[in-house]
Amino acid sequence: MILNVICIVLVVLGIVFFVGGAVGIVRFPDFYTRMHAAGKGDTMSVFMVLIGLAVYQLSDFNLANLLIAGKIFFITIFIMWASPTSTHALIKAGLEEGQEVWTRKEKTDTEDTP
Amino acid sequence: MKSLALISVVITGWLLLSAVGDFPDWGDPDSPANSYRLSQHFVTETFHETAVPNMVTAVLADYRGYDTMFETVVIFTAGIAIISILRVFRTEDPGAGGPKVYEKRPDLIVDTTCRLMIPIIQLFALYVIAHGHHSPGGGFQGGVIFGASFILIALSRDMQAAHKWVPERRVLNLAGIGILIYAGFGLASMFLGYNFLDYAILHKIIPATPIEARYHSMLGVEIGVAFTVTAIMYSIYSNLASKGTMKEGL
Repeated sequence: MILNVICIVLVVLGIVFFVGGAVGIVRFPDFYTRMHAAGKGDTMSVFMVLIGLAVYQLSDFNLANLLIAGKIFFITIFIMWASPTSTHALIKAGLEEGQEVWTRKEKTDTEDTP
Repeated sequence: MKSLALISVVITGWLLLSAVGDFPDWGDPDSPANSYRLSQHFVTETFHETAVPNMVTAVLADYRGYDTMFETVVIFTAGIAIISILRVFRTEDPGAGGPKVYEKRPDLIVDTTCRLMIPIIQLFALYVIAHGHHSPGGGFQGGVIFGASFILIALSRDMQAAHKWVPERRVLNLAGIGILIYAGFGLASMFLGYNFLDYAILHKIIPATPIEARYHSMLGVEIGVAFTVTAIMYSIYSNLASKGTMKEGL
């Protein structure tokens, strides 16, 4: 029962992070902030959803389910490892390729023109 | 021209969708595919005949061995076609067009992560190949994962680092050896007096019962498939990424 509640909370929180990441990819203004949303949101949400599923497996405790939970945990570690690195590599490639960094429009520019 | 394309797409889509109504229901036990005695035979007898719990692998590598063998040949042929079209041997600049090739700069984070990850990926690929009898997997899937690990080496460092492990000559050798392993199992059973790819007779040359011989031969042909798929996966990547020069990648 307690495990089920923990599992539901983790999965729902993970989905919330997922939605945040997806909205960020669409709404953020430039390449770097979008990668930031994608990298952070995806890593955290996948982590939470998978840990939630692992906890769910453990609610009926036996060796086979423990094995499945362990496999899910390894997948989680793998994703926590790979996803930030790929984000880093993409950001670096964008920097080398010369992607523009978004900055807030300077107020002085608009005031100078009239 | 666009409206013409739209009309043809609509007509094709309508034809396909109108055919959907004639399909039997999903999981219908009376559908032709389920009521025909062959599928019943596979469902009930596979484990007794081959000792393989995973029915899909048994059908793929044993009952339907011809098809899988020539699927492997198709992959081999595709790889050879890509090499013969893309590979260039001239030394001057290949010129503009295609993806831009950057000078490689070492990156500590990417390098360390890939150094840690590649052994795990390769171990998992071997697991997928060898465990295809019991769980989803097999030669094609494991071969693709194994090829991806070499692609990761080429991406994270440069193509020369990957070529240290899979030089071009070795790639072609591996691709050919894979098919030869597969065909070798078929020919061996033919020389012992059974049909081509009828593995049960191989119990005469490997220490096993006829049922176990089918089991172990399936592992053998999966390994052959994995050789070919690994080699061709990497070869396709390296030819496409380096515009056929095999010098430096993306």
